[in-house]
Amino acid sequence: MSATLFPAQEIGSLTKPRWQIVGQHGDPLDQRAREEFRVANERTHFADDAPAAAEALLAGRSRDAGAEGVRDLGALFALRLFENAGLARVYDGEARRIEMYEYPIRQMRGFQFQGHVRSFDNKYYLKAAVTDEVRLERPYHVEEFDFVRRHARAEPKLPITGPYTLADWSYNEYYLGRRAGWKGPSVRRAAQREFVVDLAKRAIRPTLAALIERGCRVIQIDEPAAGTHPDEADLVVEGFNAATDGLDAEFSMHICYSDYRALLPTLLEARRCRQWAWEFANRDRDGRDGYEVLGALREYGDARSVGLGVADVHRDEIETPELVADRIRRAVTYLGDPTRIWVNPDCGLRTRRLDVATRKLEAVVQGAALARASFENPRA
Amino acid sequence: MIVRTGLTGPFPRSEALVAATRDLDRGRATAEVVEDLYGRTESEVVALERRLGFDTVTGGYLRWPDLFRPFAETWEGFTVGPLTRWFETNTFFRQPILHAPPSRVKGAIAARLPPAVRAEPGRAGVLLPGPYTFAGLLENRSGETEEALVHRLGRLLADEVRELAGTGYVTFQFSEPLLVDRPPERALAEAVVAAYASVHAAAGGATSLVWTYGADATPAFPLLDRLPVSAVGIDLAETDWESVPASPDRRGLGLGVVDPRTTLVEEASDVVRIVHALKDRRRPSVVWLGPGGPLDLVPWEPATRKLHLLPAVRQMLDPSRSGRP
Repeated sequence: MSATLFPAQEIGSLTKPRWQIVGQHGDPLDQRAREEFRVANERTHFADDAPAAAEALLAGRSRDAGAEGVRDLGALFALRLFENAGLARVYDGEARRIEMYEYPIRQMRGFQFQGHVRSFDNKYYLKAAVTDEVRLERPYHVEEFDFVRRHARAEPKLPITGPYTLADWSYNEYYLGRRAGWKGPSVRRAAQREFVVDLAKRAIRPTLAALIERGCRVIQIDEPAAGTHPDEADLVVEGFNAATDGLDAEFSMHICYSDYRALLPTLLEARRCRQWAWEFANRDRDGRDGYEVLGALREYGDARSVGLGVADVHRDEIETPELVADRIRRAVTYLGDPTRIWVNPDCGLRTRRLDVATRKLEAVVQGAALARASFENPRA
Repeated sequence: MIVRTGLTGPFPRSEALVAATRDLDRGRATAEVVEDLYGRTESEVVALERRLGFDTVTGGYLRWPDLFRPFAETWEGFTVGPLTRWFETNTFFRQPILHAPPSRVKGAIAARLPPAVRAEPGRAGVLLPGPYTFAGLLENRSGETEEALVHRLGRLLADEVRELAGTGYVTFQFSEPLLVDRPPERALAEAVVAAYASVHAAAGGATSLVWTYGADATPAFPLLDRLPVSAVGIDLAETDWESVPASPDRRGLGLGVVDPRTTLVEEASDVVRIVHALKDRRRPSVVWLGPGGPLDLVPWEPATRKLHLLPAVRQMLDPSRSGRP
């Protein structure tokens, strides 16, 4: 719960600015990249915390700024963008991460990358097989969090890929191969359970513990794969519980583009989860009410807070504050309690240009203010 | 027992083709360079299929963006719609949107078949969407009921089969994951039977396979056993083989024994044991062995490694045929 109604939060990654991509490669910025840097810095003064790297980058000496220095600037840029938009909980836009699968897997032993799988058209993703027992090399995201903690002016909220998604996006050789005979449906399921729980206990949990020790208080476990196999909702829960039980932080679970009803009520057994951060705006169109599914939480008597997706990250069209406010009010109707609602984009905004992402975040904050006014001063 | 082997869907793109098509999208490679690589990679897949002694060659359908796109882009009545998740996988297809009763364009699909397949129609495996899966996964704005659409797509696909059979193609494989994911009932089930009756009549002496995958086929068997086709394939990673019912006739049986969801290579002895048990239970005239679904769910190298299971199993089941014809 929050003292203010409808506080806003970030939910995931931002697209990287051109100057970061060019600078990280050690190439001098072209005119366009320099101009983008200049305009953004005029707005938020993000470079004030890393003046030496900024000066080198703008002077055409990207190599002197160093890849890590440029990433620092990227993280500061995202932090200030979120803060400037008015978010109460922020992170670094995942400025140091390439994606949400390969990086965590590379911090572990027991995996071998197998090659690329086509996602659609000419888009691919790299996929690994677990070929040995999962072991963590060292907790990850820790230095990244340290940097955010030092520089954030709003409360940091760290996103981390959950054990179920890491397992689902990997091939299961080790845990499946240990079982003799034909690998039919029941054998595959048992092996997957073992894989998820091992990932949770041996890799995610020690990473979470290290982050908490460094002061991380709000952690979002990303489980985008949860909706892929609704009949495995119990494995999502088991992984979540194995990773978080007994740890002292405010955990949320982010799932998107899924049939949430198909995951309920099993998902509600995630004991340490304090917030469901789900996508709704994407399905709130063409006459459909995207928030109606929230009624299921009420039916099951679940009283946790909701990270309400009120901006569609797959469309450039900017939501009006009035539309955002309307979505919030409908969500309140279904949940029955305005104090349980945080607002955010449906998912990470990396699919959108930075100017679009910025305007969407501003619309989220303005819409929340409108909704807040109507609840705090219903006659206004 | 006659044993046949082959791919049952698309093969993954090679890492070189992955890099080239990415470069094409980023403006770093020309269409000519990528086209040349497609041709060479398809030839590699055909060479692999021959080396493994497969009864059909496909070239891997590497250029097809998804199962429906060649149809949605060439048949009349369609536009190509939004990205949509392909069953319980982390892969996506563009949902065809049907605006009016569809009609086919003569020769359009034949032109979309891989060149390596067109070069040898008598040994080609022609991949087609099953009418039920096609009707069920498109967005239907045509005003037709789903039953009517299944009927109509069945007739159109039958025309496609008739045209291709007339030019020498002899093996047609219909991809029907929806038949087991969401088995049709009542009038819709009758429409599916009627659609395949149209296909059967058009196929003449050609082989028609219906390949299901991605879900337990057991509940769908009462319908699958009624389909007038040469063989029906099931995914053994999703279907408990011990629950497969006895068969009322001696038609062919397809068994998806290569699991495309894992890079782990299956044990030939496990597969042989299951085939023997199902042979006794269903007495199939022919057993088709292949991947339990599209093998492009694994990358090129492990997919190649996994396929070597098939000649090994056939050698054990039918020692008179070697894996290298």
